[in-house]
Amino acid sequence: MTRGLLEIAIALHAAGAAASFGGEIGKRPTWTRGGALVLAAAFVVELSVLALLGASGAAVPVRSGAEYLLALGCFVLGLHLVLGLGRGLPGIALVLPVVSAAMVFAALVLPSIPASGAALERRGWFVAHTVVATAGMAALAVAFAMSVLFLVKDRALKLKRSVRILERSPSLETIDRVGFHAMLWGFSLLTLGIATGLAMQAELNRPLWGWAAKEVFPIAAWLVFAFLLGARRAGSMSGRRSAVLTICGFALGILTVFGMSRR
Amino acid sequence: MITLVGMNHASAPLDLRERACFAEGEIEGALSRLRAIEGIAEAMILATCNRVEILARGDDPARVAVKVRAFLAAERGIDEALLERHAYVHAGPAAARHVFGVVCGLDSMILGEPQIQGQVKRAYETARRCQATGPVLDRLVQHALSAAKRTRSSTGISRHAVSVAYAAAKLARSLFDDLTGRKALLLGAGKMTELAARHLVGQGVPSLTIANRTYARASTLAASLSGTAISWDDVPQALERVDIVLTGTAAAVPVLTRETVRRALAARRGRPLLIVDIAVPRDVEPETNTLEGVYLYDVDDLQDIVDEGLGERRRAAEEARRLLEIEVVAFDRWRQVADLAPTISALYERLHGMERDEIARFSRRLASFGEAERATVEELLRALVQKILHRPTLTLKAAADRGEAARFAALYREIFGLDADASREEGSGPQRLIRGGKDD
Repeated sequence: MTRGLLEIAIALHAAGAAASFGGEIGKRPTWTRGGALVLAAAFVVELSVLALLGASGAAVPVRSGAEYLLALGCFVLGLHLVLGLGRGLPGIALVLPVVSAAMVFAALVLPSIPASGAALERRGWFVAHTVVATAGMAALAVAFAMSVLFLVKDRALKLKRSVRILERSPSLETIDRVGFHAMLWGFSLLTLGIATGLAMQAELNRPLWGWAAKEVFPIAAWLVFAFLLGARRAGSMSGRRSAVLTICGFALGILTVFGMSRR
Repeated sequence: MITLVGMNHASAPLDLRERACFAEGEIEGALSRLRAIEGIAEAMILATCNRVEILARGDDPARVAVKVRAFLAAERGIDEALLERHAYVHAGPAAARHVFGVVCGLDSMILGEPQIQGQVKRAYETARRCQATGPVLDRLVQHALSAAKRTRSSTGISRHAVSVAYAAAKLARSLFDDLTGRKALLLGAGKMTELAARHLVGQGVPSLTIANRTYARASTLAASLSGTAISWDDVPQALERVDIVLTGTAAAVPVLTRETVRRALAARRGRPLLIVDIAVPRDVEPETNTLEGVYLYDVDDLQDIVDEGLGERRRAAEEARRLLEIEVVAFDRWRQVADLAPTISALYERLHGMERDEIARFSRRLASFGEAERATVEELLRALVQKILHRPTLTLKAAADRGEAARFAALYREIFGLDADASREEGSGPQRLIRGGKDD
């Protein structure tokens, strides 16, 4: 049943993203509004899938990489819809639904292998760690999307190409500012996620470090973002280089997916 | 006949236009060298950021075109083959049509832009000051200027025209949230820079810093725009503070190098910098665009932006072309009538000469006449010649109206044997129509 619902969710998500995209490019508000409604429906279905998954395992539904990506995609879409990012900043409506749809689609195609030891999912630190880390990655996904948009727009401006999509996108300054704030939130939540993860390991009397993908990649991502924030504060990093580093940091963070089925 | 050799933003790339462009101070010397060329009776040079055009009048348009192209190549150090590939040549009515279109802004990068009218006026004044123009170019430019004024007001083509300043403001909005609170630096205090600066102020840019080689001019402009004038040496420091640089000096070499901008970037802490270079030759080294966070646009790069609202302007331009065609025909009629002047004057000379000869031949027989009678006979003869000449003159003018002046003039010259007298009369003929510009 969850598989069928997930397929409906991805179909709605893709249709909504396409309508939003087309509405933004073609300056058709009806399409944009319709796309937002379809995306809202996709969000509800994805939440239902997550609830069903949680209920079936009696745990937070991030037991596998696939579930994690579904939760992350749902979170990013929620940020887009609930926070109204797309309304205030038209260009963002081009990027966030597409990024979140890609995550949900990946959840559909990745093998869903639940981790062993389901009992730990009921523990408090695990719930806090999972929620905080997923929220952090969702914020970093927004920063990633903004960085991609920044690089594309920067390139078009440098090459003096008139790209219709970019005419509807916010200014470089806005893209940079939204991306930076998303990165600040993402970094803070990622830090909290790492701290709660350590607390969880301590509670289970496990070693704090084990060179597993789910430990190495978040720490690597954290180091990248820490360096980037420091460099930005010092004024030695901005623009393209900052965007490239944000993309690298997010890519490292998303590689955590490969460690999700190992506990 | 008028011949025009030129290149514009559509026919030649910016780097070639830069090389072909005459600085303001170079035009007078170039005009005197151009006028010294055999077969060129009148000349004018129009050099703007988007075009370099030379207007010349001579008897043989094909030869004049070759000479003018060779002059441009030699004067600007450009390979003649390259010039042949990128320059256009118009002669006769086509040249007049082109000039009318240029003055009306129909040939401008920003269709319908009004600045070109002032630029043509200044080019004409320079040519007049150098005594390079004559009756035909005087008439052509004056007619084109007044026709452009009428056409602009009746079609409203200028109302739809977006300016370079508009393009700069739009570009700025691609980089910055809004323009209020932004700082802009102006390099140069020319007309185009001033217009662009006024537009930026209108868009909410509150802080303008103006630098010019001549500090007094920067100071005057700064006072009129509530900006601040700085000395040229302070430009590198100003680059550290501003968000937008608008440059339009008449310098022959770049005034802003990549290295100067690169040095300023360190102090900018990653803030983007938009540089709009509306000068030709360019004021900013093109390599500056490779610097991170620096977005350099020159006049050619603004093309896509200024094409906005093109549909409306194209419709107005069609109407303007239709109206201008009437003016071109009117000018061409005047020119044809003017071209007939030597024929008409030769015809008058010929017949009145015959009248004088006959009076001289009959002088012995007229000797018995009293003073009053003799005067009556002379008056009678003169009136007869005038009456004979009246009809052929009207026919010639009518032929000119139909565009057949040259054919009829040749016919008259043959019938009355005027060519035989031409060499004798050259230079002394009453070129009434050309000089007075009246087609009475």
